[in-house]
Amino acid sequence: MTVFLFRLTAFKNSVIRAPILYSVGLVFLALVYWGILFLTRRGVRFLDQFPAIGTIADAVAQRSLEALFLLLMLGVAFSVLTTAITTLYSSEDLSFLLSLPASGLEVFSLKVVETYLSAAFLPALFTLPVLIGLGLEKGAPLIYYPIGIAAVLALYAIPVAIGSLLALILIRISPAGRVKEIATAVSVLFAAALIFGLRVLRPERLSALSPGEFELLLQRFARFEIGWSPPSWASEVVWSALAGRVPNAAVVLAGVSLILLLLVARLAALAYREGWIRSLDSRPFRFDSAVRRPAFWETPFYAFGRSGSIMVKDNRLLFRDPTQWSQLLVLVALAGVYLVSTSSFEVDIQRFKDAVGTMNLMFLGFLLAGVGVRTAYPIVSLEGEGFWMLRTGPIASSQIVAAKFLNALPVMLLLGGGLGLAAAELLDLSPTLALASPIAGFSAATVITAIGVGLGAAYPRFDATNPAEIPLSPGGLLYMTLSLVYAALMTIMLAYPAWQAIERPDYLFWMHREGMLLLLLLVVVTVLATALPLFFGSYRLARYEPGAS
Amino acid sequence: MIEVHRLVKRYGKLLAVNEISFEARAGEVLALLGPNGAGKSTTIKCLTGLIRPSSGNIRLAGSDVVSDAVAAKAKLGYVPDRPYLYPKLTGRELLRFLARLRGVEDGESLAQEWFVFFGLDGFANELIEGYSHGMRQKLTFIAALLHDPEVLVIDEPMVGLDPRAARQVKDLMAGYARKGRTVLLTTHSMDVAETVADRVILLNRGQIAAEGTMEELRLQIGHSQADLESIFLQMTAEQLPAAS
Repeated sequence: MTVFLFRLTAFKNSVIRAPILYSVGLVFLALVYWGILFLTRRGVRFLDQFPAIGTIADAVAQRSLEALFLLLMLGVAFSVLTTAITTLYSSEDLSFLLSLPASGLEVFSLKVVETYLSAAFLPALFTLPVLIGLGLEKGAPLIYYPIGIAAVLALYAIPVAIGSLLALILIRISPAGRVKEIATAVSVLFAAALIFGLRVLRPERLSALSPGEFELLLQRFARFEIGWSPPSWASEVVWSALAGRVPNAAVVLAGVSLILLLLVARLAALAYREGWIRSLDSRPFRFDSAVRRPAFWETPFYAFGRSGSIMVKDNRLLFRDPTQWSQLLVLVALAGVYLVSTSSFEVDIQRFKDAVGTMNLMFLGFLLAGVGVRTAYPIVSLEGEGFWMLRTGPIASSQIVAAKFLNALPVMLLLGGGLGLAAAELLDLSPTLALASPIAGFSAATVITAIGVGLGAAYPRFDATNPAEIPLSPGGLLYMTLSLVYAALMTIMLAYPAWQAIERPDYLFWMHREGMLLLLLLVVVTVLATALPLFFGSYRLARYEPGAS
Repeated sequence: MIEVHRLVKRYGKLLAVNEISFEARAGEVLALLGPNGAGKSTTIKCLTGLIRPSSGNIRLAGSDVVSDAVAAKAKLGYVPDRPYLYPKLTGRELLRFLARLRGVEDGESLAQEWFVFFGLDGFANELIEGYSHGMRQKLTFIAALLHDPEVLVIDEPMVGLDPRAARQVKDLMAGYARKGRTVLLTTHSMDVAETVADRVILLNRGQIAAEGTMEELRLQIGHSQADLESIFLQMTAEQLPAAS
């Protein structure tokens, strides 16, 4: 208990030290809660009022809740892998905690709770407004709310426990020094597959169904039970609680969760005591005194001088560090989502195709912003604690920022230009828009990369342990805002040629004076919007002081 | 070689370094000593360009660390107290990166010579993440010396080193100064400072409490046989009531 209180005090201190940050977070959370609550209530109301569905409305809602539970459970199960390895077996405070007058079981119970909070806190937090919305819409009794919350908390404990057990197996069987890499790769591959898989289902096809077909689909869905599984237990508990009852499933759910968590704590303590965690240690050295020369691919980079040496170093680190290269898998999944979405438009009239193509320009910008938040924005902060080597080296902050920008740009250009071209082909756009699409892709890729690198340099987080946590900051929010603003600005700038393409399909806008002027304007805007954030980033980075930002 | 003139560093309301001035000449090893919180690390960070002074000037071999930072840093070698190096690079790759960054022509062969000197030649192709603390410290020394800097700044040089390596480092610091270079070190080890340093600066509460050779410091406390530890304890104890 002392150990738990100790952690609670640490959290309280961090809130006191950063009240603005936590207040902003609270406002953001309130907005998200309101959004989820609103959508849930609208969804439940829609089902209740859908013609001729009356008798199965509850079953459909319950199956939907089960599906949500299942999805979030899977997400938790795979994200918990790396968390469990870090928290349970290689956290810095483990030795200190084990030196306290507390039993191994107590220490590892705390670690299990920590793992639970790290992996399942957010999914649980965002499931709650769904439950609240359901309760409000169904006029549930007060007892429903604590029971519903308890069911969700118990439900997510199961994937945490299963993921932690899987982590234990990985630790036991992985080659020494490679367990974190394997766990990260498994987690990210699963996340990428999940994103892509969900998109491949193409939910927009539902809108093409007639009311009769939709009703038939709902009836089938209502009969489709996941079966005797934790999500169905949880949804059973929630549904019974709506009527003020506590079903047997509640006992099963709570019992299984508790037993699994205790099992994890016991096994973790055992694994630590028996030395199973040796696979976390580095590989044994092989004595090798050969003088290895630079690799052939390094040479072209050295043409960029000092910036080139940073690029070589960064590329090596990118492909050796799983927390970095795994971000590329998410990038591939997002590109896949974009292509599937674009190819799903089935429109025959050229005007509509061009209209969709115009909207698509903005969508492309949004996608690039989403990719940039994982590739461009963290690239300066990824120097981590090694930043002192650059800071004390004979290199200006502008050269550091330039190196980072040049390294992040090719992937973004390839993505922006490639997807722009692919969209033009898939949507069969008229010539004016077919050219506007890749132009928009290249412009957005360049500017968004610059915003990402520039703001990432202006607000670095060298203490972050994972690239994914770097953008979770005011700088990251500013990056997203400015990137989306640029995507919108670019779409507005291209609205005129788009309108021309729709109104005069045979008019090749870009071959005329107005087209060339607009192209010139786009180039000027792109150059300015690229240079400004890079200068800002260089200026701020030169003045960066640890702990001051 | 190192000129510090009226250096002030504030962190908000906290005055970490209060208008200190000193010089370290070519061919000299200068030890910067002081109790915890005296301002040693802040001074070192200002010297190496890790943080910017609130006011005052610092020149390394004639170049100002703020207005002419790139030139100043080209003349600097730095060994931090916590040798954080990119864990996913091998020792050789790290030195290649730093040699290129610092424009060292024959970086590859120089690195190999240093690997042999510190007994790391068999591990140069291994990832740094597998190195012990001492091996990292040695690698950090190589990284600081690879470009033969005019000024070498070392923060806690002996942390994690085995006795043989510690001896090597002591000899290296003295030998490096004999080549006409300037060495500035901070340490809590009075033995190291007394053995290696030509002059000592004692910082306390952000100000210079004492400065001079061992003989000069002994004269200041009026004890001709005093060792550095006694001098340190006496000087810092005297300063406490005055500052409070």
